[in-house]
Amino acid sequence: MALMLSTTIAQAACYADYKAKQDDPLRLHYGVAEVRGDCSVRSAEGQLRDRLDDDGWQLLNVLGVFDDAGLEERKESAGEFFLRY
Amino acid sequence: MSSSSATEAREIGNRIVVAGIAAIVLILAVAAVLLFINLPDANAFNMRVEQLFVENDNLTSNAEIKLLEILAGSGTAFSDTLASYRFVIFVLLIFATALLVAAVAFLVMLIALNRRMGRIERQGIEVNSLTISRDQKAVYLNDFEFKLTDAAIETLSVLAEARMDDEVLTGAEIEGVISGRSAADCDEAAGATRIKRLRDTLGNQMMSELLVKNIARKGYVLAIDKDVIRMI
Repeated sequence: MALMLSTTIAQAACYADYKAKQDDPLRLHYGVAEVRGDCSVRSAEGQLRDRLDDDGWQLLNVLGVFDDAGLEERKESAGEFFLRY
Repeated sequence: MSSSSATEAREIGNRIVVAGIAAIVLILAVAAVLLFINLPDANAFNMRVEQLFVENDNLTSNAEIKLLEILAGSGTAFSDTLASYRFVIFVLLIFATALLVAAVAFLVMLIALNRRMGRIERQGIEVNSLTISRDQKAVYLNDFEFKLTDAAIETLSVLAEARMDDEVLTGAEIEGVISGRSAADCDEAAGATRIKRLRDTLGNQMMSELLVKNIARKGYVLAIDKDVIRMI
């Protein structure tokens, strides 16, 4: 039963919101991205660091992970970085 | 003995001057280095803004983030201004170095001049210029004018020319040059007489100019400060 529950959570969509920056000149952004696999802040950090790095952004921190329910309220803040990476 | 100690003193003085100037340059160089190290670097503002952004979880809206970026930008612009200030301060430091070095040099020159003045005062008369004017039959020692006879002018001229050639003349040679004969034919005593006459006229006038003054229709007075007279 517990095993089933954990798999359902793992299979549900997982998202993380994060903050990132670029240097010279300083540019900041807040974004929302989908996390694959393990739905935790740590795994989100690992994945996002690589994805952002490809585009020249440096990950500052991951605020938290959430599922579909939290997606809508963050859409406006994230703006163009909503589910971009 | 005294001249060797004077040279020693001068060497020590030179060493002190070099050490002083080196110390000034060193101190100001250290000040310049500290200045360049301690001024905030251009990234300081960006780092503060970034820290603010990370520490406040609710700073997520687009407008807020734009505002933070503007803040960082203006900070960077200010740090550019600081860099120009730094340059101005550095130029001022160089000026200060030059002025201080000049001040030390002038101080040392002043001390040397003072010493020299003291020596001159003790020594009495020091001849800085000797001008012989044949047509006016006069010789100018520093600013004093002394009237001389033709013979005395002749003797003085011969001595002056010999001095310029770094030569020493015997009495016979002096007499030989003035009379136009060979020195071997001249009497040593004749030259000595010429020197004696030159000394007498020049010495008399110098004495009257420097020590015993004759004020016309009034009398005689010592031409010295009364404070320096002491009876023992």
